[in-house]
Amino acid sequence: MFKVQTMSRLLIAASKDQLDTIVRELYRHNLFHIEDFVESDEEGYEGFKIGMPLPGAGSVSSDLIRIRSIENSFDVSAGEVETTVRSGTAELTRKIESELPVIEKEAMALIEEKSSLENTVREYGMKIAELEPFTGYTGYLEDLKGFDFFVVLAGYIPAHFGFTVPNESFYTTVNKRHFLIAVVPLENAEEAERSLLDAGFQAVAIPDETGTARARIDWYTQEITRLNNEIEGVKGRILAQKKTHAAFLVACDELLTAEVERKEAPLRFATTEETFVAEGWVPIEKKDALISDITSATGGKVYITELEYDPVEDVVPVEYHNPDFSKPTELLIDIYSRPQYSEFDPTLLVAIVFPIFFGFILGDVGYGLILLALSFYLRKMLKEEAGRKLLDVLRNASVSSIIFGLLFSEFLGYALPWDPIGLNRHLNIGGHSTGHGPDVTQMLVLTAWIGILHITLGRSLHIYNAMRKHHPGKHRTKVVFGQVGWILTMWGILFALWSLFAIPVMPDLTGFAGIVAGLNIFGILGAVMVVVGVIGVAQENVLDLLELPTIISHVLSYARLAAVGLSSVAIAMVTNYIAIELIIDPQLESLSVVGIVIILMGIVVFLIGHTLNTALGVLGGGLHSIRLHYVEFFTKFYQGGGKKYKPFGKNRKFTED
Amino acid sequence: MAVEVMTVEVAEATASGFAAIGAGLAVGLTGMGTGLAQFSIGGAAVGATAENKDMFGLALLFTVIPETIVIFGLVVALLLLF
Repeated sequence: MFKVQTMSRLLIAASKDQLDTIVRELYRHNLFHIEDFVESDEEGYEGFKIGMPLPGAGSVSSDLIRIRSIENSFDVSAGEVETTVRSGTAELTRKIESELPVIEKEAMALIEEKSSLENTVREYGMKIAELEPFTGYTGYLEDLKGFDFFVVLAGYIPAHFGFTVPNESFYTTVNKRHFLIAVVPLENAEEAERSLLDAGFQAVAIPDETGTARARIDWYTQEITRLNNEIEGVKGRILAQKKTHAAFLVACDELLTAEVERKEAPLRFATTEETFVAEGWVPIEKKDALISDITSATGGKVYITELEYDPVEDVVPVEYHNPDFSKPTELLIDIYSRPQYSEFDPTLLVAIVFPIFFGFILGDVGYGLILLALSFYLRKMLKEEAGRKLLDVLRNASVSSIIFGLLFSEFLGYALPWDPIGLNRHLNIGGHSTGHGPDVTQMLVLTAWIGILHITLGRSLHIYNAMRKHHPGKHRTKVVFGQVGWILTMWGILFALWSLFAIPVMPDLTGFAGIVAGLNIFGILGAVMVVVGVIGVAQENVLDLLELPTIISHVLSYARLAAVGLSSVAIAMVTNYIAIELIIDPQLESLSVVGIVIILMGIVVFLIGHTLNTALGVLGGGLHSIRLHYVEFFTKFYQGGGKKYKPFGKNRKFTED
Repeated sequence: MAVEVMTVEVAEATASGFAAIGAGLAVGLTGMGTGLAQFSIGGAAVGATAENKDMFGLALLFTVIPETIVIFGLVVALLLLF
C-alpha cells in the first residue's frame, strides 16, 4: 500500500549441466525478472561471455514458425479460444510429432486450393474486361483473326475516322467512347495504322476466343459465380478445420513459445566455459520458495545469494503492491507512467479520489445505474485484461455516481422525492425552479477547497518522497523547503483573502480590527506566509518563481468539477423539457393517431438525448477527473518512469504438465 | 420625441442581460483562445505519443496548459451570472 512491491536481487550461479533444470524451474515459477547480462570489462565480470541458446533451440523455433503459419492461415488467435481442457505437455509433444504434419498438409492444401481458385476468378475477370469492348460486335470473334491478306485493327478512337485506304469499318460505342473495328488490306496496314495513331487511336488486342463476345462474357460470368461458390466451400472447410484444430494449435503455440523462451534464456545470462551466472529480481516474499525449489530441483548443485542494492540509484523493476480494491486503477497509473521503485505509489489515492470526482461531476442515480449495468455487461463480453480493468474503474466510478446522485437528488435530470442534501444542482429550465436554484457559488468554493487540499496533499507527498529518496543534507533541505514554500504561499494567499473578503463555505476572518494598512492580524499572517513561501520557492530554483501563478490557476482548474457537472445536469433537464413537456405532454391531453406518432418521436428524442448525455458524462466525468490527477496532482510530486517488472515465464492457459 | 423613462425594473433587467452577454463572451472567447492554443500543441502531442508511448504524461501536460484560459473565463462567467 502506497509503496511498490519490495524486491530482492538474486544471483544464481551453477555449472552448465544444471542450466536446463534451473531455467525450467525459473520459468515455471514465473517470478524471476532477469537482468540482462551485458559483456563488459567491469571488475568481477572479466572473462564472462553471453551464453549460447540451449541445444534444440533452432528446431523448436522452426516448429513454432510452422505452428504460427498454420494459425495464420486458419486465422486463429489465442484470445478467441475458450480454455476448456488443458492439454498435457507430454501428450502435446507426441501430438506435435504425429499430428502436426497432417494438419499442416491439410492447411497448405486448403490455402493453395483457395488461392488457385481466387487466381482463376481474377483471370476470368480480366478476360471479361478484355471482351467488354467487343459486345457491340455481334459476329464471331474467331472471324476477326487468321487472315492472310488483311489486317484487323480494333481500338478506341475519339471521333469517327475517314480512312484514306480501302477498308471495311465498324463503329460501336463502349462506355461513351467510340470503338472501331476495321479491316484493311495487308499492304495498306502500315499507312492506316499511322494515320489512325495520329487521330488518337488506342489499339485493343482482339481476344483469343471463339463465339460472340456476349456469349463468352456470359460463360465467364457463370464460371466466376461457380468458382465463387467453390471458394465459399473451401472457406467453410477452412473454418471447420479451424474449429477442430484451434485448441490444439494455441496449445502448441503456448508450449513451443515457452520452449523457445526457455532455450534462449541463456542469451541473457553470463557464462564461462563450465558455469553460468544469472542475475535478477524476485518479490521479497516469494524469494524463499523460489530458492528452495531451485535448490531441491538441482539437488543442491547451485549457488544462490541475495545481492545488496541501492533502491534509489539502481534501476529496480517495479511491480504494484495494492489491495484488490485499487488494482484496476493501476491501469490509469500505467497510462501516465509506472512509479519509480523508491517513490510513493499513488494508486490507492487515485482509486479513492477518482470515483469521488467522477461522482461529483456525474452525480445522477439514473446515469449511475446505466453505467453500472453497462460495466457489468461489457465485462462479461470482454476478455482482455486492460479492458476489464478499465471497466472495473468505471464500475467504482458509477457506484460513486449513484451515491452522489442520491445526495444531489437527481434521476436523469429529474428531482428525486427529497431535497438535495448539501448542494443543489437543479437548474431553472422550462420555468420550474425547485428550491432556490443551483448553489453555484457554494459549488465553486467547494471545488476550490478540493483543489487546495488535493494540491497541498500533492506537495506534502513531494516532501515525503524527498525524505525517502535523498540522504540528509543540503539538497534534501532545499527540496523540502521549496515544497513548504509552495504550500505556505498558497495558504498565505488564502489567509489574506479570508481577512479581506467574506467568502461562503470558507472561514470569515474579516471581523478582526485592522492593524497595518487595513490588514488585520490574519491578513498580516497571510502576507508573511506568502513572503516566506516565495523565498522558499526561490531558494530551490529561482526560475520556479515564474510558476507562481499556477498556484491560482491550478486551484481554479478544479472549478471544472462544478462546471462539467452543471452542464451535464443542464443537458439532462433540457432533454426532459423538450421530450416530455414540449412534445409528449400536449399530445397526451387529446390523444389522436398523429398524436401517438408524435409521442413516439418524443420518446426517441428522450432516448437519444439521454444516450448522448451518458456518453458525454463518461467522457467528461472520466477525462476531467483523471486529468485533475495527471496535471494538477501528479505534477506536484510524481516522477514515474519506473521499469516494468516482467518475470521470466508465462501464465499458462492451454497447457499443463 | 417620447422620452423613455428608465424604471428600476428596466435597469435591473438590462443589467442582468448585459451580465449574461458578458458571461457568454467570457466563456466563448476564452474557449476559442484555448482551442487555438491547443490545436497545434494537441497535434504535436499526439504525434509525439504515437512515436513514443512514454511521452503520454508529458504530452498531456503540454496539451492542457492553455485550458487555464477557459477555466478563468468560466469562473468569470459563473461569477457574473450567480
